[in-house]
Amino acid sequence: NAADAQEASLKAPASFINFGGAYVSQDSAKFGEYSGMNKSGGYGIADFAVRGGDSYGDGDGTKRWSFTGSDLGLSSRGLDAAISDQGKWSVWLAYDELTHYTSDSYQTPYLGSMGGNSWTLPAGFAPLTNTRAMTTAQLGAFRNVDVDNTRKNGLLGGGFILNKEWDVKIDYNQLEQSGAKLMGFGSAQWPVAPGPAVAGQNISILPMAQNYKTTTVNASLNWKGESGNATFGYYGSYFRDNNNGVTFQTFNGSGGGAPSTQTMGTPPSNDFHQLNVTGGYSFSGKTKLAGGLSYGRNTQNMTYGYDSGVGVDLGPMVTASPTSSLNGSVITTHADLKLTDQTTKQLTLSAGVKYDKRDNQTASNIYNSRSIDGGNIYNYPNTPNSNSKLQAEIAGDYRLDSKQKIRLAYNYQEVKRWCNNFATGGGTPAYAAGTNCVVATGNKENSLGATYRLKASSDVNFEAAYVYSDRKSSFDENARTAMIGTDGNPPGGTVTGLNASNYRGFHSFFEASRTQNLLKAKVGWQANEKWSVDLGGRYGKDNFDTLYGVQNAQTWSLNLDTTYAFRENGTMSAYVTQLNSGRNSTDQQRTSASAAAPSTTAVAVPAGATWSNALKDEDTTIGFNLKQAGLMGGKLELVGDATYSLGKTGYNTTLNYSTTTSNGLTCSSSALLTCGAPPDIVNRMIQFKLTGTYDVDKTSKVRVGYIYQYLNAADYYYNGLQVGNTPAAVLPTNQINPSYAVNVVAVSYIYSFK
Amino acid sequence: ADDKPQFGAANRDKDCTRCHDANDAKPVLAIYQTKHGVRGDARTPGCQTCHGDSASHIKDAPKNKPDVVFSKGTFEVSDDKTRSGQCLTCHTGKSRNNWDGSQHQNNQLACNDCHKAHAPADKVMVKKTQTEVCFTCHKEQRAQLKKVSTHPTEVGKVVCSDCHNTHGSPGPAMVKKNTIVETCYTCHAEKRGPFLFEHQPVTENCANCHSPHGSNIAPMLITRSPFICQSCHDGPHTTDSPVGRNAGGFQSGLTQNATGSNPSSHATGRGCLGCHSVIHGSNSPSGGYFQR
Repeated sequence: NAADAQEASLKAPASFINFGGAYVSQDSAKFGEYSGMNKSGGYGIADFAVRGGDSYGDGDGTKRWSFTGSDLGLSSRGLDAAISDQGKWSVWLAYDELTHYTSDSYQTPYLGSMGGNSWTLPAGFAPLTNTRAMTTAQLGAFRNVDVDNTRKNGLLGGGFILNKEWDVKIDYNQLEQSGAKLMGFGSAQWPVAPGPAVAGQNISILPMAQNYKTTTVNASLNWKGESGNATFGYYGSYFRDNNNGVTFQTFNGSGGGAPSTQTMGTPPSNDFHQLNVTGGYSFSGKTKLAGGLSYGRNTQNMTYGYDSGVGVDLGPMVTASPTSSLNGSVITTHADLKLTDQTTKQLTLSAGVKYDKRDNQTASNIYNSRSIDGGNIYNYPNTPNSNSKLQAEIAGDYRLDSKQKIRLAYNYQEVKRWCNNFATGGGTPAYAAGTNCVVATGNKENSLGATYRLKASSDVNFEAAYVYSDRKSSFDENARTAMIGTDGNPPGGTVTGLNASNYRGFHSFFEASRTQNLLKAKVGWQANEKWSVDLGGRYGKDNFDTLYGVQNAQTWSLNLDTTYAFRENGTMSAYVTQLNSGRNSTDQQRTSASAAAPSTTAVAVPAGATWSNALKDEDTTIGFNLKQAGLMGGKLELVGDATYSLGKTGYNTTLNYSTTTSNGLTCSSSALLTCGAPPDIVNRMIQFKLTGTYDVDKTSKVRVGYIYQYLNAADYYYNGLQVGNTPAAVLPTNQINPSYAVNVVAVSYIYSFK
Repeated sequence: ADDKPQFGAANRDKDCTRCHDANDAKPVLAIYQTKHGVRGDARTPGCQTCHGDSASHIKDAPKNKPDVVFSKGTFEVSDDKTRSGQCLTCHTGKSRNNWDGSQHQNNQLACNDCHKAHAPADKVMVKKTQTEVCFTCHKEQRAQLKKVSTHPTEVGKVVCSDCHNTHGSPGPAMVKKNTIVETCYTCHAEKRGPFLFEHQPVTENCANCHSPHGSNIAPMLITRSPFICQSCHDGPHTTDSPVGRNAGGFQSGLTQNATGSNPSSHATGRGCLGCHSVIHGSNSPSGGYFQR
């Protein structure tokens, strides 16, 4: 009868095929950034899911299989297949593809293929000493190159249940990456003849090849007993870069001859092996212990791909590289343990400790090289960074009564940083024994948090939380990275590169001493069966204890959500979210202790003068969603979605003194503009989607969709890339703001079957 | 005998399905399409395995609630620990080891607040629909993912569970691996090195510079160069010449100066990254300044 048929239908696996087409109105790499619809024109719609097996329904079968595909007509396509005998084994297979379209407005005079590892200049293009003064022939050499990169990911996995206590799971994954991303290629000028350094640095923005293959193996053996469980795992990740450097020609030379070919380094092939053990033990069902241990080894020994000669045209090395490859080795260890007790409903307790260590055991030698400006010679030991982090937390939740709960948590964190063997591998000049490579050698942070929860009624929930953190950092301001420049560090420049070449008193925000206050609150109200409202907000303030650098940072957010079921099968929801953040930083302006006299191009700077910079981010997002099913006699479902988002970023710099150049210009004069605010970076996006699905009969549906998406991007970044607007040593790319207004219409037919 | 359902589960489902049948407002019978409905698997639960024996409810359904109520309807929902407890009876260990004391448990979430056991396609388990579930609570992340620079989340390629273990983890912010950098290296192994010249904040935490849920500045940067670099560096490029309105180049109203050095390559366009481009680390002997 009908009821039995309906019941059988609910229990049977649902399969479908969806196919059709879509039309996109406009070319836009940004619109198609991930969706694959980056060009105007037609695209295929193809999705399917086919499922079967004897495990469905009322029988005793345990086998099932599935084969699904999504977005097959687009570059974001994916395929999955799985087969299993539930309770015994399962095998899965997947293929996933994604092209990231990054630019369709990029132009370059360089010859080479996007994704290739060699870029040369057309004959006669170089030398070019001022990129704002190109000849007609040089301008004519520019051509469009679309820039994108593609990930193709294959996965094969299996799980096998050996018995009630043991099972094993293995995943084998292979990721292939091709294409390129735009990157700055800085280069030194080439001299008339091979010889010493020639000052000057030039920037070509070129597609940096990505020709990678990453193989990942994830295997685990799992045990589950009456009260405990354990997992023994191996994680291996093997990265291979099929390039060992990308060669390119510099466009700027001081004389004749062919442009010199220089080499940009590429990421080195590397391996990571990790053994993991995790487990848990339940003492009473309410008291549990969980923990884990990891030991990992990350190695790389790829032969350096670089310009090994001495002299700028042959290579920036001053003396030969002390090694031909790094033989790098990093040991990562992790341990964690957590005890939780929920014996009573009134009080639950937890205590945990975690430890992570990155121990870089790589040797450190001194490398003598030139910066690409050709002038500065640095004597730079490689810095094998090591760090460790110890964390401990104790927390308790106490139920005041049936409606109120309070939670208190205390967290302690201790970070240490160091370099093993820093500058001990030899080279000139010798670094003093015990020279440190890190300025912030560590910190200790204490956090205390309280949360209050109130269930005022079955329809109203309230929560408020406050966390206070205090981080105290320790510093070694005599630490060095490279022996170059005095950068204002006394005494008298005899010791160079102190405080990582920063001013004394300048500390990075992520390692500086800091206090942090964080306040959160939210309320949820189910007004009636049809209408609900959620309101939440957060405020955070960081104060950094550092003379120079980031002084403070603040964030706040506010969110309002509401949902209303306006009729049976009909709901509408709306939300508005405001995210604001900012930070203020300051720094000393001069590099010497004495005041600087004004010139025609620079203002006079008093000794100890400082400047400040304020960053402000404001983001507004508004969304509206409407769903209505059951129209046209129950055959039509409509889903509408509209989103508006506005992201705004602004900077403002203030010189904390008043002075002029020798001819009376101030920092706000148009020839300087070293203070003030550049135009805000504004991204305004509107998205409207409407989808209607009409049931032709029990097995057939027709879906019609419309998307309108609009982006108005205003970003000064692009102005500096245009012909005539670049710095004199930057080759323009003519990339433009990725604004677009795209319409998409899609029609597809869906056939469902059991 | 061991091959039969442990809980006598499916055999007792009729106690429930005589009322909760195909005409039920919620399609409860669809659970038989899921792994929880495979009767041939000895581990398969029945209705009462999760909802409790519910003897009084079976006797007088309109008056008495089931022992465990998972979702709001006629009866008041059971507390979070009771609901999760039903699932954790079977789903122990592995990625759920750290559930107790996790952020989600502390926030009184239960398994069924995210998972829909009766649904043939559980939204949170399907990449294209997962964010709908997570955004129910994580409103800030929903807004951040509408920014101009994001991971491919909207197309369902990188979703919350690719980075986070929502059942709890020893890592910060419930990331899947022990640390944030380890989690990022899962997909970005080219950033792992070890490099000859390492950039210290890169080795510690990718989020020192990147905002992984989205940013107004590509590629998901917390802010724009040179300002982002000035957060940690005050080398000679910036201390001698603070960057202000001139970051906008001629668009800002900058005019050519006497030396022709306007605009500055330190301030405009890619800023510091024009030359210091291999900022994640360099494996070139001449890459100490991340220029090679």
